[in-house]
Amino acid sequence: MTGQQEAPRQRGASSPILSLIWRLIALAFIDAVALLLAYAFFGGGLGLAAIILLAITAAINVIFLVDRLYPLRWISPGLLLLVLMVVYPFVYTVYVATTNFSSTNVLAKEQVVERLEQQFYTPEGSESLSWRAYRSPDGDFLILLADPSGRQLVGDPAQGVIPLDEYQATFGPIDPADNLPTSIDDHVKLSRGESVRYLTALSQLVITDAEAQLRIVSLDRAELGRQRFVYDPATDSMTDQQTGTVYRAEGGFFVAADGTRAPAPGFVQVIGLDNFFRVVTDRRISGAFFGVFTWTFTFALLSVLTTFALGLALALVFNDQRLPLKGLFRTLAIIPYTVPGFISALVWVGLLNPNFGPINGFLRDFVGVNPQWFSDGTLAKIAILLVNTWLGYPYMLIVALGALQSIPGDLYEAAEIDGASPWQRFSTITLPLLLVALAPLLIGSFAFNFNNFTLIDLVTEGGPPTPGAVTPAGQTDILISYSFRLAFSGGRGQDYAFAAAISIFIFAIVAAITIFNFRLSRRLENLTG
Amino acid sequence: MSTMLRTIGVLAALILAVVACTGPGATTAPTGTAAPTASPTMAPTASPTSAASPTTAPSPTDGASPSPTGAATPSPSPSPTPPPGAEEGTLTIWADNVRAPVFTAVAEAFTTEYGVPVQVYQIGFGDIRDQLILRGPAGEGPDLIVGAHDWLGQLVDAGVVEPLEIPADKAANFQEVGLRAMSYDGTLYGMPTGSEAIALYYNKDLMPDGNPPETWDELKQIAAELQEAGTVEQGYCLMRADPYHSYPILTGFGGYIFGENADGSYNPEDVGLDSEGGLAYANELDSMVKEGLLRDNVDYGACVAMMTGDAGANAPRAAFFITGPWELPNFRDSGINFGVAPIPTMEDTAAPFVGVQGMFVSAFAPNKLLAQTFLTEFMATDEAMGDLYEADPRLPVWIPLAETITDADTLAFTESAAAGNPMPAIPQMSSVWTAWTDAINLIFAQTEDPETAVENAAEQIRTLIGE
Amino acid sequence: MSGPTAPAEVKPAAAARQGRTLGVRSRRRISLSFKVLIAVLTAVYALIPVFFVITASLNPLQTISGASLIPTRVTFDHYARLFNSPFHPWPQWILNSVIVSSLTAIIVVALCALAAYSFSRFRFRGRRLGLMALVLVQLFPNMLAFVALFLLLQAIGNALPSFSVAIPGVGTFEPARLGLNSLGGLILIYAGGALGFNTWLMKAYFDTVPYDLDESALVDGASHTQAFRYVVLPLVRPVLAVIAILSFISTYSDFILARVMLSSTENFTLAVGMTLFIRGQFTQQWGTFAAAAVIGALPIVITFLLLQRQLIGGLARGGVKG
Repeated sequence: MTGQQEAPRQRGASSPILSLIWRLIALAFIDAVALLLAYAFFGGGLGLAAIILLAITAAINVIFLVDRLYPLRWISPGLLLLVLMVVYPFVYTVYVATTNFSSTNVLAKEQVVERLEQQFYTPEGSESLSWRAYRSPDGDFLILLADPSGRQLVGDPAQGVIPLDEYQATFGPIDPADNLPTSIDDHVKLSRGESVRYLTALSQLVITDAEAQLRIVSLDRAELGRQRFVYDPATDSMTDQQTGTVYRAEGGFFVAADGTRAPAPGFVQVIGLDNFFRVVTDRRISGAFFGVFTWTFTFALLSVLTTFALGLALALVFNDQRLPLKGLFRTLAIIPYTVPGFISALVWVGLLNPNFGPINGFLRDFVGVNPQWFSDGTLAKIAILLVNTWLGYPYMLIVALGALQSIPGDLYEAAEIDGASPWQRFSTITLPLLLVALAPLLIGSFAFNFNNFTLIDLVTEGGPPTPGAVTPAGQTDILISYSFRLAFSGGRGQDYAFAAAISIFIFAIVAAITIFNFRLSRRLENLTG
Repeated sequence: MSTMLRTIGVLAALILAVVACTGPGATTAPTGTAAPTASPTMAPTASPTSAASPTTAPSPTDGASPSPTGAATPSPSPSPTPPPGAEEGTLTIWADNVRAPVFTAVAEAFTTEYGVPVQVYQIGFGDIRDQLILRGPAGEGPDLIVGAHDWLGQLVDAGVVEPLEIPADKAANFQEVGLRAMSYDGTLYGMPTGSEAIALYYNKDLMPDGNPPETWDELKQIAAELQEAGTVEQGYCLMRADPYHSYPILTGFGGYIFGENADGSYNPEDVGLDSEGGLAYANELDSMVKEGLLRDNVDYGACVAMMTGDAGANAPRAAFFITGPWELPNFRDSGINFGVAPIPTMEDTAAPFVGVQGMFVSAFAPNKLLAQTFLTEFMATDEAMGDLYEADPRLPVWIPLAETITDADTLAFTESAAAGNPMPAIPQMSSVWTAWTDAINLIFAQTEDPETAVENAAEQIRTLIGE
Repeated sequence: MSGPTAPAEVKPAAAARQGRTLGVRSRRRISLSFKVLIAVLTAVYALIPVFFVITASLNPLQTISGASLIPTRVTFDHYARLFNSPFHPWPQWILNSVIVSSLTAIIVVALCALAAYSFSRFRFRGRRLGLMALVLVQLFPNMLAFVALFLLLQAIGNALPSFSVAIPGVGTFEPARLGLNSLGGLILIYAGGALGFNTWLMKAYFDTVPYDLDESALVDGASHTQAFRYVVLPLVRPVLAVIAILSFISTYSDFILARVMLSSTENFTLAVGMTLFIRGQFTQQWGTFAAAAVIGALPIVITFLLLQRQLIGGLARGGVKG
């Protein structure tokens, strides 16, 4: 039934030459764009991205010019996007898992070096200076400085810091208000208020004298400071010019010999497989693993079962021609699917509120019970399933309806002639055929719910805490919600690298289950022929 | 093979032709702001879970939601607005939904006076810290953010905030506690704009003598009587899953979270949840639940509704609620005859958490000096502080403003705050909230013995911190 | 109970069971009423939250403690308050969401169809592996993906030349904006993320179209492209519609990725705007939240209900039986 082609030959009403020409033109255009982009990437320091881009472009060229790779031409645009948006993040996550990326180690090493190099210290005896800026029509600046003793200096980006008397320029008349010249050459004095607008530009001026650099510290203060830290690439260390301490780069921080850290944040560094080991050896994870895994598996399985059962039941109901108002019922039944998931989850939380929600109000008045949905473990699990079923059954309904239509009617007629009961018709014809057709969807739904972080987080946040547990695993926590909570709210802030390692483990688990399921369904397919 | 060569030749020629036509002139080189961060910085992310930091619980004050006062819309510009990363010359501020309108209005005056445009962006309060850590290093961050003092630990660790220098004369106008809260490891990082601490809201009409209870036992007694008489649904309202609001009870019974060092900073090695006072606190909560004074599954919104009688529509259903000044507008609008008093004493003085809010300068701000000047020149004035206070009535830390407060409620909060402890800003705090919340939930749900619950929580905290 | 119900006339073979005709008919009536019951119960189950939220949005009380299923008083204050919030441009957000979701759906359908055709029709090395990979690739819990994607979009945004196109009377816009804080970048991300499983699904559906149809077209001198366009595509329209709608709905509700990629208010999608709004306001302002929820869900509910006929009808009509 499916296509059988060995070496696809180009057949076409249009001649092969024309097709080649079209391809060449398109490829030329793509190549030009790619080259320009790569040039830009290189210019911006993104060498790796440029190389990848060029490799991809080369691959595209090959695919579209080599006849044997014809099938790939159809796949290539989608593949490209897929690689970029899915495969790359995956690879990146693996990379992150090998680093120490966390909220204490966020910056790149260059950034930390830069931060340290921007620190200044004022040597003993230097004083704060007051300053006024002078601006020329071209946007150049001169700074007039005065130290507490009244000595005046001029800061000129071209010449450095020079005493006023020695500075060669034409000074305008002295403004009696602040005893400063109103202009120096064509630079006009800016008042204190006027300087505010130019603060950014002023702070970027580099005016140095022999050893120190002029730094504008605030609207009223400037100082001559020296760079405090100097980086030595050879030893990968920062030396504190003020104290002489040497800080080496170690484990994501600049650390002195005695263990103290430089006054700077940490940086990201590859640390190898430590995070993976941590996942396996961490007591909090291994202690809670089986319990959480069991519930995760159960939850995913039950979700699929309940949504499928309800969806299928409804599909069968709606398939009955005799049902009145079929269109209306079908429309109403699908509505849950159209409401964005997180809105629904929050609404359900309100609905199920044991004290104020209408559901408990109803139950209290008419049944006499007041289930504590969020305090009792079992009830919380039921609540989660209740919400998830509501969210998921319309999808199953839709696909079941479609699949039902594709079961040929003669099969049923034959069965009825043979005297099969409705239940028998269902269990021997409908159900097997449906399962075969929908197996991939069911498996996909299982995988989705295995990692259904949003639902758990919004409805129960992992659920009522487990009494007597030393691990913070809640009773409705699934693998992903638990481990992410560990990574993001444990210890010193957020540990992204750890969360990345966890993701990879979870992926391995889900992938294994999924592959197993597919094998299983393939065998089922063969059985039912 | 020759076809292949021919193809390649033609292709190459075409490429050259196209490139020659478009040429390097067509590309605008990556802008300067991108350059320093072009080496792919690993920028972390907004954590998918909203971490249980209590600053998100009290602050959603939508007190201002009945129309932000004269809010100026960020002027719709005809050309696409630049992302809320800052560009040269424009000051960018990230604020939450309450303060954003205020800053927009206040910033207009700044622009008029100094000629610098200011762009205010609204971000959910709970997201600001994470977004700054994400975007700052990547060059997409703002110049200034509004934030809470207990973020400092994480912010400084990540290296995304810049130390701030306030001239001595201006600094003298700030309350000491505010400046101290805005400092970390001895360096000042932010400018405080207000503080908050919780105190006792009580319904005057429901008090036997119109006066608030002075001791905790008195409060419980009144609450029990009111509940019995059916006058209220719940005498004293305390939410589940909210350690922040139960902290006064912890301290009131002699417990603590982290021990204090000699210099007043917190010592994360000394966890006090399962100390004697901590156990007493757990038992107290437990007995209150058993006596029916506390109910599970009551959340913050419900407490407010019960206290204010659904914003004045119905009779109030609760008599006592300990929460902060951000609810004042709601209470005032509801028409309930309420009062605010310091928290009744328990075995010890009940000390609430004191939180200080302020503004921080991003370490990656393109206009760092400008941002600092905005704070020291413009925000640190009577006008700006006054405007802020009007929109968001937290306790002023600006002394001239604080001295003019005559409002009884604010004074009561101030008194309460005076007895309070600043919320620990050390990064280890995030580990504390989760474990503590779990313990409280277990007690409320009565599924665990109270002492065991807090002991387990303390153990968890020690493990988490120990890493 | 299954499949198209056989006509009500008595079949020749079943005539032998005529003695039980009455039983059969009343059994049928019972089963029908049973089905009606199921339909009604499901409708109730489906609608309770919807009803609840609509009522809450009209209820003047702001908190959940005052919420009830039957409204006692009605007010439109919450909606008014929403629309007067200058930092919440709901119409713009809805428009953005619709743009993003529609374009994503179109791109996904196009790319998946092309790839599915290839997987279905051609035999090439790595085909089976590729198919399995398509599925596996979707399994990765991509919670951290947005760090990578953030950097990727930033790089793209920096490298692409930004030029604007001015259309007199309409305004200027920048078509090449694919970087951070652009709808284009978001669309690329969504589209890429939806390709794996959807291609797999489409391929399965393509498989149900017999190759003989292609063959006869090819023999007549058509190229593969033409066979694809004129023979196969019309027959697989239902699955195209399904995938389009499913993509639309799932991208419409995403807020995690969008929240990181978009930063200025006017670029937000509806989902992001809502989370901005919901944070902390959920129980404190239940009424306003409910109003926002109604606004948030309305566009997609309406669209979907209008299109559901195509969706379900298409699934039934299309494909090839046997």
